[in-house]
Amino acid sequence: MIAGLVLLVGGAAVGLFGSLLGLGGGILLVPLLTLGFGRPLREAVAISLVSVIVTSSAGAGIYLRRHVANLRLGMVLELFTACGALVGGLIAFALPVPVLEGLFALLLAWVAISMLRRRETPGAATVAVDELPVPADGRPPAAHALALRPAGFVSSLSGPGYHVVRLRLGMAGAVFAGIVSALLGVGGGIVKVPLMNLAMGVPLKVATATSNMMIGITATSSAVIYLLRDEINPYIAGPVALGVFVGASLGARVVNRIDTRLLRWLFVVVLLITGAQMGMKALGL
Amino acid sequence: MTTQGRDPLEPAPASEVRATAPGRTEGGGTPASDAAFAIEATISRLLVAGTYLAIALVLVGVVGMLLGGVDPLARGERPAFDLGGIPAAIVALRPEGFLWLGLVAVLALPVGRVIVAGVGFLAARDRRLALVSLAVLLVITASVVAALGLEG
Repeated sequence: MIAGLVLLVGGAAVGLFGSLLGLGGGILLVPLLTLGFGRPLREAVAISLVSVIVTSSAGAGIYLRRHVANLRLGMVLELFTACGALVGGLIAFALPVPVLEGLFALLLAWVAISMLRRRETPGAATVAVDELPVPADGRPPAAHALALRPAGFVSSLSGPGYHVVRLRLGMAGAVFAGIVSALLGVGGGIVKVPLMNLAMGVPLKVATATSNMMIGITATSSAVIYLLRDEINPYIAGPVALGVFVGASLGARVVNRIDTRLLRWLFVVVLLITGAQMGMKALGL
Repeated sequence: MTTQGRDPLEPAPASEVRATAPGRTEGGGTPASDAAFAIEATISRLLVAGTYLAIALVLVGVVGMLLGGVDPLARGERPAFDLGGIPAAIVALRPEGFLWLGLVAVLALPVGRVIVAGVGFLAARDRRLALVSLAVLLVITASVVAALGLEG
């Protein structure tokens, strides 16, 4: 019973901090399960994917209700993330575990550096609906996208106040994001959000919301492989996923009451230490 | 979870809803915009309700697991996935039945979202996006086939 409760609390902590810091749970969950609970890496990745789907589905429901996520663009790109995840899910069983551990260590370092470079204030990644450009007639963004259909397919993926560009680059990047997601048990937002925002002309908040929506299919494409390969232990996945959901829900409620700047600094330190530990594990040290 | 600043399962305040989603367009909406609005609203309801359902099933399984003294970290304490065996496990009130069903529901949610979107795009005569939806479902199917192939 104790072990189950500890997993529940661990999942809740991951969900809470992930929500406060604008990160998905995978980046925290995989090291927790491998280094903290001694679980095999592939099992940790599989459980992380399940947890990520839970939080993605909950968030996507809200983003779509508020018409913040770009459903059309998301669906086009997730076709390619799903393909990447399929490939990644198969490769994950061919690659030696130390290689996966080394890749995860690199990912942790990358996320730590990204967080250090992030200049916006906590909560800036919040999708504030009233800060998006509002069409003059007040119709939701998707309405304009559909209305733009006669101008071309790429135009139909655009939204009010922005035009999607470099769709082919986005597709290629989406494949890469899917592979990363499947190999390392993360949602892939670390690739998809900057891809959409910096390369494809999508506003940051729309990119964040759309990426969140896409994570569901991205993670499912490879989670199915892990499930059928018997890599998911329900006795661990259950408490962890439940805890992550509770923690993320709590985090969303309190994030505006907490100054996350100090938390972010502490988190960068934790990421770097954890990355070093996983790197040493990969090297057999 | 990136839904900062808002309970992910709480309805948006009315003021925010009006800012970008005024509801049914009043005398000015085109059929295309109404269709897009309806697709997103339907998917939203599916995802929110589905998440609650999946989490409820997992919760029942976790409670059963804790009360039954299951040690999740013990070697050998691990039921294999058997989709066909889930109904019997649930009828027998075994925690793994609820856990497996909840986890399957979690994986099914994004797939359900794609199906609903695909049907919506088809109804709105957006063939390209309907085909994209179908292609996504085919990729998921390929994942299943590939995984079963690896097993065999």
